[in-house]
Amino acid sequence: MISRRCCSKMPGNPCRALALALAALFAACSEVPATPAQAPAEMSAIAVPLGLPPMPYPAGNVPTAERVELGRKLFFDRRLSFNGTMSCGMCHVPDHGFTSNELRMSIGNEGATVRRNAPTVLNVGYHTSLFHDGRDRELETQAWGPFLANNEMANPSMGHVIDKLRSLPDYGGMFERAFGGRGPSADTVGQAIASYERSLVSGNSRFDRFRYGGDAGALSAQEQRGFAVFSGKGRCATCHLVGDTSALFSDFRFYNTGIGWVRGLPPSTVHVQLTPDYSTELTEKEILPISETVPNDVGRFEITLDPDDRWAYKTPTLRNVALTAPYMHDGSLSTLEEVVEFYDKGGAGAPEQSPLIVPLALSAEEKADLVSFLKTLNGEHETHVREGLQQSSYVSTGSHRY
Amino acid sequence: MKFTPIRASLISVAIAASFAVAIPANADETCNSPYTASLIKGQEDYVHVWTLGVKGMGDESDKLVTVDVNPASKDYGKVISSVTVGGRGEAHHTGFSDDRKYLWAGRLDDNKIFIFDIGTNPAKPKLVQTIADFTQKTGYVGPHTFYALPGRMMVQALSNDKDHGGRTGLVVYNNKGEFVEKYDMPTGKHGDVMADGYGYDIGINPQKNALLTSSFTGWNNYMMDFGKMVKDADAMKHFGNTMVMWDLKSMKPQKVMHVAGAPLEIRWSLKEGDNWAYTATALTSKLVLVKQDDKGEWQAKEVGTVGDPSKVPLPVDISITADAKGLWVNTFLDGTTRYFDISDPEAPKQVYQKVIGSHVNMVSQSWDGKRVYYTTSLLGNWDKKGADDEQFLKLFHWDGKALTEKFSLDFYKLKLGRAHHMKFSAKTVQAAALSDKPQMSLAQNR
Ligand code: HEC
Ligand code: HEC
Repeated sequence: MISRRCCSKMPGNPCRALALALAALFAACSEVPATPAQAPAEMSAIAVPLGLPPMPYPAGNVPTAERVELGRKLFFDRRLSFNGTMSCGMCHVPDHGFTSNELRMSIGNEGATVRRNAPTVLNVGYHTSLFHDGRDRELETQAWGPFLANNEMANPSMGHVIDKLRSLPDYGGMFERAFGGRGPSADTVGQAIASYERSLVSGNSRFDRFRYGGDAGALSAQEQRGFAVFSGKGRCATCHLVGDTSALFSDFRFYNTGIGWVRGLPPSTVHVQLTPDYSTELTEKEILPISETVPNDVGRFEITLDPDDRWAYKTPTLRNVALTAPYMHDGSLSTLEEVVEFYDKGGAGAPEQSPLIVPLALSAEEKADLVSFLKTLNGEHETHVREGLQQSSYVSTGSHRY
Repeated sequence: MKFTPIRASLISVAIAASFAVAIPANADETCNSPYTASLIKGQEDYVHVWTLGVKGMGDESDKLVTVDVNPASKDYGKVISSVTVGGRGEAHHTGFSDDRKYLWAGRLDDNKIFIFDIGTNPAKPKLVQTIADFTQKTGYVGPHTFYALPGRMMVQALSNDKDHGGRTGLVVYNNKGEFVEKYDMPTGKHGDVMADGYGYDIGINPQKNALLTSSFTGWNNYMMDFGKMVKDADAMKHFGNTMVMWDLKSMKPQKVMHVAGAPLEIRWSLKEGDNWAYTATALTSKLVLVKQDDKGEWQAKEVGTVGDPSKVPLPVDISITADAKGLWVNTFLDGTTRYFDISDPEAPKQVYQKVIGSHVNMVSQSWDGKRVYYTTSLLGNWDKKGADDEQFLKLFHWDGKALTEKFSLDFYKLKLGRAHHMKFSAKTVQAAALSDKPQMSLAQNR
């Protein structure tokens, strides 16, 4: 009955996968010129750290230094939201692991509810589909989602954003230099942001040095035991894949882990931690008068309308997972300990749950080992954080009076 | 996240210099800055209500609404002016310039600050200046409290432009609306207390050279649907748990005090020589006294409870009487106002309570305490929903024993929006302030 749930369809088609692989090859060794007319002056393939595969990119959008820089500026520019309060970087915060650590589900324009947790954009260039439900496949087009979403950056139209970019003097010439004379447009905005996102690689973690760098001492004995649980008894590597030469910790497929089902259950009382030392319980009835109607979320199903995809969400990468709390598509688990506990119990026990999620009977020690292993996956991306923060803390000093 | 270190700057010197000539009088209608000129000790003529625009209502924009409140006037209890500023940006608090001629009004979402001319004709406030680069100049988000200094305006922000969390700072403008200086709220360990870098209100006791600040939460929380936030255990971790005592002249933090559960409004006792202030904690429903101990060191201590803390009634605005013997405390979620006898500030006693509406936020009283005004809105996304979303301005008379309603203006029926911060004005300030000893003229900078 529900065995079909095991792995829903791979998004995308084989041709694209091949194209990506080809592009990836080029990225590793040499640059692929776009059309000669548009060949940018300076090109740079994205250097990939230990543990990551070559970074794929479409033939028409070589991630040159100019495009990456322009993309970074766009990504952190609050002026590109309708009321000037949101940038991509306000939800994908550089020193929060390019996500938001301080809230489970994002809020956007005028505080409007976004019903999902902001995923990290570190290593997002490797994803074969985007968003928790995989509703987009190209970074080039994905960016327009948040630019135009009412509850994110709330721009009334693409043209509105493009007009604004044309009018902002500090962008003068940047597009033209990055795109062989082409100015701001739906395409170039998407391409620049995509290039920046592809540049956000993060690898060479302690795990990478252990597994791919021949440094057996890079992981402690406990962490090594944790890796054994991860790839053995814990079955984590079934979906969070670890390859022979590189690892993305995701198969980019969609599974029902039961988290989405729990979210739809009738609410019980809510434990509210008011200060570190003081908490209370509130009933749903008490919370109702201050609550908007909570939006529903059926996951991948909303895109495919295939009943098998109800409450299925994309397997996220686990790289930098210690930096990207809270966890799952709704941020409902706050710590890695809670996540491991969740899997150990066999997920939430939803009727449609993936049969790959089963009770694990891990010992307390194995759980602790597993958590310690997950904490070895922090990669090196200090430069991205620094450059991002610099770009985001644009403080004009024009009329300081001293 | 990193902030630039506090600059030991020229401006501190400038502030110190201006204080040297300032002989602070008592504050006016009990909650304004002590540097605000022209107390209204008689009957106020107008109440200005900073009102949040609501989508689907009228022009959907924030506006400054002026209500005639003089019982002798033919327009008593009526809206006589409404100035739309355009768009919704989470209109919140306002504050007078030191000369009381200008009202600064802030928006917590899009960070715009509007300066209205109230002095020329208080019946018809006029928007004369808009500061749109608050965040670009400071890196802060959410200009909240507007507190007059001699010739200047101090602004407490709530958040920042890097992660929309609670780390923030204080900003000083001159009366021309020009940015002068900013000061990050302290972070890291101060004595035994971990400073959180959060901010909310400003309260100054000039005689003690004391600037007291409190702490709330960042944009991520104050803009979030209230119900959503209460259920978000990670969001709930990000409320302020500190108050900071600053040396006003040097603008250096002197002491960070642990006050858990989001201490909000600060009200100093206005009595000459008194050395204490009150605040209420929103999440833990405590009244907190900040007072100098025998050694002259500032200490914060819990002295009372508001309602049943386990139900999170959410104390919001408080208002102290001019003689510092009474304190109004509003609790938002049960729509109730409570009067505490604080003749002994160490032992507040609740002596009266009344339900004002389905929810209630602000309370402002006249100097003599006889008239008490209430408005409803706390934050656009925190106000109650559906039928419980009442929005009004109500006037009550207080005879020392009970509140009697005099008028109620339904801001939704009038298609105005959510009624929030109130400030009083008088036709001719001099006439209203007759009984007051003339204040030092501190407004030379304008
Ligand atoms: C209001 C917060 C917010 C803003 C602003 C925002 N994002 Fe996101 N982002 C999210 C959330 C939440 C998701 C997941 C949404 C979903 O799955 O439905 C997401 C998903 C993504 C993803 C997919 C990641 C993955 O793992 O599949 C990318 C890429 C991304 N955002 C880039 C951007 C860019 C580029 C911008 C600016 C143009 C931007 N975001 C603005 C919150 C935000
Ligand atoms: C059947 C495939 C599958 C298996 C097996 C699996 N996961 Fe997952 N994992 C997922 C999916 C799908 C999600 C996203 C769920 C959601 O968003 O609600 C996820 C989410 C996570 C997250 C949250 C990451 C984030 O950024 O939010 C962590 C951590 C995690 N898994 C760790 C593990 C560990 C540890 C194991 C082994 C004990 C494991 N997973 C086993 C599919 C799997």
